[in-house]
Amino acid sequence: MTGPPPGPFRPGFFRSPLRGPRLTAILGLTLLVLVTIVAVTGFLSHAAYQPDLGDNGLVEPDLPLTFFDWPTGPSWLYALNQGLHVNVGLVAVPWLLAKLWSVMPRLFAWPPVTSAAQATERATIALLVSSTIFLFVTGIANIQYWYVFDFDFVQAHYYAAVVFVAALGVHLVVKLPVALRSLRGPEPRDSPLVAIAPDAPVLSRRALLAAVGGGSAALLVANAGELVGGPLRRIAFLAPRRDGGFPVNKTAAGAKVTEAMTGPAYRLVLAGGSGGEIALSRDDLLALPQATHTLTLGCVEGWSTRQEWTGVPLRELARLAGAADPSQLTVGSLQPKGILRRATLAANQVADSRSLLVLKVGGADLMPDHGYPARIIVPGLPGVHNTKWVGRMEFRA
Amino acid sequence: MRRYGASPVHLLAHLAALALAAWALVQIPGLGNWQRIVVWLVAAVVVHDLVLFPAYTAAGRLVGRSPFVRVPLALSALLALVFFPVMCGKGEGAYTRVSGTEWDGYAERWLLVSALLFAGSAVLYAVRSRT
Repeated sequence: MTGPPPGPFRPGFFRSPLRGPRLTAILGLTLLVLVTIVAVTGFLSHAAYQPDLGDNGLVEPDLPLTFFDWPTGPSWLYALNQGLHVNVGLVAVPWLLAKLWSVMPRLFAWPPVTSAAQATERATIALLVSSTIFLFVTGIANIQYWYVFDFDFVQAHYYAAVVFVAALGVHLVVKLPVALRSLRGPEPRDSPLVAIAPDAPVLSRRALLAAVGGGSAALLVANAGELVGGPLRRIAFLAPRRDGGFPVNKTAAGAKVTEAMTGPAYRLVLAGGSGGEIALSRDDLLALPQATHTLTLGCVEGWSTRQEWTGVPLRELARLAGAADPSQLTVGSLQPKGILRRATLAANQVADSRSLLVLKVGGADLMPDHGYPARIIVPGLPGVHNTKWVGRMEFRA
Repeated sequence: MRRYGASPVHLLAHLAALALAAWALVQIPGLGNWQRIVVWLVAAVVVHDLVLFPAYTAAGRLVGRSPFVRVPLALSALLALVFFPVMCGKGEGAYTRVSGTEWDGYAERWLLVSALLFAGSAVLYAVRSRT
């Protein structure tokens, strides 16, 4: 029998004195806590889009994850969910890199396969590493508007997350007992992770963990400020969303909404009620009972804005249309193209007294880029489902 | 189970996970441009294991063994690794279309923060080596 090929396959190639089962266990368990938060908030975000309603599904609702109504309170619920998803994801990056570094000798184990069990295990670890890096890279590129992937981000990110959860689950079945054992007992010297001929240490293990945590802190400071408005957003020195005030997520020009569409000829059509179709001008809307609420609008990308919104409560419009207590409301934009020009709201969202067809923000008329003549705000709803330039509202009994 | 090499739980857990993962993977051909998704999934492992890992290992050897050099360098490199798209303006066209504003000063702020990290580490080193 011939020996291993040269290079990393030879025992003694990896020389860091820090590698060992205990370090890998600490890194792995920390990473486990972080990616659990990221995965749970990711699937919750999928549920918040209510993919089982109307054309809401950016991904087909194959998995039974939407068995509950997404709540309308607190209004910052979705902003918080996405703030956790994005920022805990960033915090996890150095732990992921360190964890992969700590187990690198295992990648070059020789012989590469010793049994059917071990081959199966290596195949699932390949899926785990591949789906994990894929999720991090696509997510990090997406929050920076770098659509370098020429596939649908949402669908690919979702199905890769399912692969990730499956592969992580079985990895835990195999490795969680090993990790807990290596935290309790003395460090085994015969582990394949422990260097045969270690270099003198550069850092202690504690210092390495502190440095990894420092990496997390640096990424958090660099980005987390965009989660809230105000001066904190300027601290976030590398956040893609540092623009102050009331950030725009789609300009009227970008949405191809023209002045001709929003001028005096503008009419909002209410449909689906017993009163037949009703057309209302903006002046008609301003003459209806108004309400004002301060609510947070949260974006899937992990930034948010809190504003004082004034407009007609949606349940008021439902009553006017002759469809009190509707089971659903589909809101259509004047925007001619794009999958997000329609969004369907559930019964609890229409019924909430704080859900508004907004005409004014901070006491002033809506800006064209924020959805003039009228836009939706529903507390706790993903940002892009708060349809702008509303042209049609279809109630379902 | 002697031939398999592990317990029935091991085999069943792997079969369950592989079945669920396979379910997700067979959805991919129904998605637009699915070949690229597969390429990205494979490239993710290859780029990390055979490019990024050797690159930072070599860089670590190159800069020497002092943690006062390695740690701030690693932090600066980590910020660059995660935020290079915004620093290089990779998504600037899309960002401007969406927001109506422009990106400004990202690479400069990263350089300033890096300068701060290196200077801070130098001060720490000087203080430590005097005591």
